[in-house]
Amino acid sequence: MSAQRRVPGQLSRGQAILRGVVLGLGALVFLFPFYYMVIGSLQRFPDTSLGGIFPNPANITGANYVAINERINLFSGLINSGIFAGGVVLGTVLFGMVTGYALAVLKWRGRGATFALALLVQTIPFQLLMIPLYVMIARDYGLGDTHLGMILPYLINSTAVVIFRQYFLQIPKELFDAARIDGASELRVLWQVAIPLVRPALVTVILITFIGPWNEFLWPFLITKEASLQPLAVSLANYISTIAASTTNPFGAMLAGAVVLAAPVVLLFIYFQRFFVSTDIGSGVKG
Amino acid sequence: MQRRTLISATATAAAALLALTACSGGGAADSDALTSRGDITIWYSNNEQEVAWAKAMVDAWNAENPEEQIKAQEIPAGDSSEEVIGAAITAGTAPCLVFNTAPSAVGQFQKQGGLVDLASFEDGTAYIEERSGESAEQYRAPEGGYFQMPWKSNPVMIFYNKDKFTQAGLDPENPALSTYDDFLATSKTLVESGAAQFAINPSPTSQFFQVGFDFLPLFAAESGGKGLVEDGKATFAGEEGLAVGEFWKSLYDQGFSGREEVQGDAFADGVSAMSIVGPWAISVYGDSINWGSVPVPTSSGIAPEETYTFSDAKNVGLYSACKNQATAWDVLKFATSEEQDGQLLELTGQMPLRANLPDTYPDYFEANPAYTQFGDQASRTVEVPAGSNTVEMMQDLRDAYTKAVISGEGDLEEALKGAAEKVDALAEEG
Amino acid sequence: MSSETLGRSPGVASPRGPAGAGSRKRPVVQRVFGKNPLGALLSTPYLIFLAVVFAYPLVFAFYMSLHDYFFSAPGAVVDRPFIGIDNYVAALTDPQVLQSFRNVGVFLIINVPLTVILAIVLATALNRVVHFRAFLRVSFYVPYVTASVAVVAVWLFMFSGNGLINNVIGPLAPDPSWLINPTLAMPTIALYVTWKQLGFFILLYLAALQNVPNELYESASTDGAGPIRSFFSVTVPGVRPATALVLMLATITGANLFTEPYLLTGGGGPNGASSSPVFVMYQEGLQQGKPGFAAAIGVVLVIIVLTIALLENRFAGGKEE
Repeated sequence: MSAQRRVPGQLSRGQAILRGVVLGLGALVFLFPFYYMVIGSLQRFPDTSLGGIFPNPANITGANYVAINERINLFSGLINSGIFAGGVVLGTVLFGMVTGYALAVLKWRGRGATFALALLVQTIPFQLLMIPLYVMIARDYGLGDTHLGMILPYLINSTAVVIFRQYFLQIPKELFDAARIDGASELRVLWQVAIPLVRPALVTVILITFIGPWNEFLWPFLITKEASLQPLAVSLANYISTIAASTTNPFGAMLAGAVVLAAPVVLLFIYFQRFFVSTDIGSGVKG
Repeated sequence: MQRRTLISATATAAAALLALTACSGGGAADSDALTSRGDITIWYSNNEQEVAWAKAMVDAWNAENPEEQIKAQEIPAGDSSEEVIGAAITAGTAPCLVFNTAPSAVGQFQKQGGLVDLASFEDGTAYIEERSGESAEQYRAPEGGYFQMPWKSNPVMIFYNKDKFTQAGLDPENPALSTYDDFLATSKTLVESGAAQFAINPSPTSQFFQVGFDFLPLFAAESGGKGLVEDGKATFAGEEGLAVGEFWKSLYDQGFSGREEVQGDAFADGVSAMSIVGPWAISVYGDSINWGSVPVPTSSGIAPEETYTFSDAKNVGLYSACKNQATAWDVLKFATSEEQDGQLLELTGQMPLRANLPDTYPDYFEANPAYTQFGDQASRTVEVPAGSNTVEMMQDLRDAYTKAVISGEGDLEEALKGAAEKVDALAEEG
Repeated sequence: MSSETLGRSPGVASPRGPAGAGSRKRPVVQRVFGKNPLGALLSTPYLIFLAVVFAYPLVFAFYMSLHDYFFSAPGAVVDRPFIGIDNYVAALTDPQVLQSFRNVGVFLIINVPLTVILAIVLATALNRVVHFRAFLRVSFYVPYVTASVAVVAVWLFMFSGNGLINNVIGPLAPDPSWLINPTLAMPTIALYVTWKQLGFFILLYLAALQNVPNELYESASTDGAGPIRSFFSVTVPGVRPATALVLMLATITGANLFTEPYLLTGGGGPNGASSSPVFVMYQEGLQQGKPGFAAAIGVVLVIIVLTIALLENRFAGGKEE
């Protein structure tokens, strides 16, 4: 046992360095593919040899990006992707959060069944549902070639419901009880106590529900054949599927497409990650 | 209590199902559609060359037929297009024509009730058989009728890299590639001289359609034009199939072909000295590679003008969801007219499934001698088996092939026989 | 479900359990909806959503599994006879299907523990880091957001026969190489998926770590606990609900494995050594036109996964009333 008294969570100098090294190496392992993707997308000729991981000035070009820009309408793709992913995030945050709260904090009949349903929905492979879902939404609901038809199956992300439930479970019961004793209604407990405390969870949910629809290809393509309504992932997938036959560097074109698709999400993450700050629950318990 | 609520939730869901199915019966195909005219929608493949052709075709039609306009949309080629068409058939939202219908999917689409029998148009059978000649036969449904218009083929041949051949000390103008022994000896020289890592590198993956790019073309050649299934029986487990399997197996065993999928295009990147592809590749490899082409090899070296191969065709389907089928049929005839076929050849380098192709477009073949061989080869092609179980048959064969030939596990003859038994059972089914 | 026989976890021995409803006279609303009717009200949009979007396809999938089903155009007259459990019998005796279930079992055994351990350790480290915070977080997150086609290309570059990994380890390189080696293909895929999904699970832990009261670390520190001990005595129990969540989600997404056998090993190769139940469903149901058979596989898969997920929730979820 060390007699030295430390500020909580603070490591000794050696340990901090060790942690830095481990994290740094880990980051390299995780960043490498992205780096490779960017390098590959800038190559004039594909270089799949080991030397290809270093930029070679003689083999660098922006042509792959120019080609994408010429062939597909990036602007309308981005707008459609934004509507699709934005609609899903909005629906999930609004309805998913209150459902998660109800599942975690409130006691009502059907709670267990609702939770089981939320799990059930996630366990079903999309390949099983695809055609019945398409038939229902395109034919019975008449939502083919609309944004709503694109959004509907994703509107409330069940994974997010389960995540919200779990974070509400983690909040100490005392906080809710204290508010209730003060005479707050259940709705006020939700708005004024619970939601501010799950802000990190809220950020997480936004970041993860955004990606699903953002990268999704098959469903939006199934539901809309109008090029003007198709999100970026669909246009890029179409572009990639055809480019192999008409360019000297299909590999680079494919990687450039992937970079274009990933860039907005990475920017979104950089912006949002700052909200992962501690909400300091401790003081709430004391008070 | 939890269980009770789960049951009641299921009951509610079941009730919802009944309500939905009750109101989804509409949209039955009516017989008036066959003679009806008006605007139609078509889908075509999204590769650049075909888009250029299709746009020009649609513009030409629309300019002349203001009352019957075409609305055109792109769908991607490959796996997902069959899924998308299948879903659209089920929902009744399929377009009138799809200029990208894979013959391997036609049997299923037909079984689903998604396709119109083109023979039900007065001049349907005559038009198809006159245009495609003898080749049309392979596209006839087993029970009669045409549920697809034979459109264009990409007869599979061997491309070889002349520079690599020179580098290996081989004659680039008259490569010894016609018999299995020659082919193996040439491969040996290519690899051992270090000219290329692999002699030839077909995709070694398990997808069913890869059958068309290793086993099937050589089997068609070896057997003098037999399909994988004839008269309801699998043909590929006999002597010829075995010879083809042994040939590929020795390429894999000796390391002349790779067991692992290569990133990018092995031929274009110089990883392999040969490739087994159709004429679409001419425009891709074009000037970047000094290439030549020869027919696929056979054990005895059958003469080029008698060698068969796999067609790798894409056809046109007229879908039953179409309201104005008379217009669709007219558009289909317009799009496969001599003039439009000529345009297609010009713009895409793919071979219209037309009898006497080289004689119909002499100017084109004179100006593009590289395509002559393919134009000639197009008259001797073999198609995938017909019927609704095509994909499953090909998958069974592929699974046996990847195991016994590519991985070299177990006995080849037994593996082929095993697959043949499954295919026989499937052929009997439908 | 047989959860009744498993007994209740210790935390639920509360005197006023859910079964206590109706013991005293309560308003009608409470008698119908339970103690907090608001819960039912708040969940209504979600339940309506499930009914509108998923009830029909789900029940329909079950219906298909009991029939010799195929999809057909509206109005087409087709025969799709009821065949009872024939599809289930066929699926569960098909060696390919059984192999795919075994494969995914191997996958889960490697992927799930690895994911939980790496995610909690990395999230704890990331949470305390001061310098390059945004950069480090983005690094771990990037594979998760990048489209599979591109990531797969990169992975192939590293794990192919003459790829980066084999070049580095030289004579230790396996033969046949990783992805075409029947024994190594599935573990390689499991590793790949762990790496690709880890950013997601790190996010879950990062959020959970914000809610671990600082006092707990302080008092552990007062008791003389070092960083490793306080990790095990404060962090691990503190994020226990998140661990339950990570376990469940990793199991569920892992069991639905599809993209990797589809893209990374070119269709479940070599010789089905990396195929998964969902991949077989795709082949049989969508490519080969036998959705009834595929649906039977799907129903079996859903039952197995749901059971595992609920068990994980029960045992790892900790206190819940």
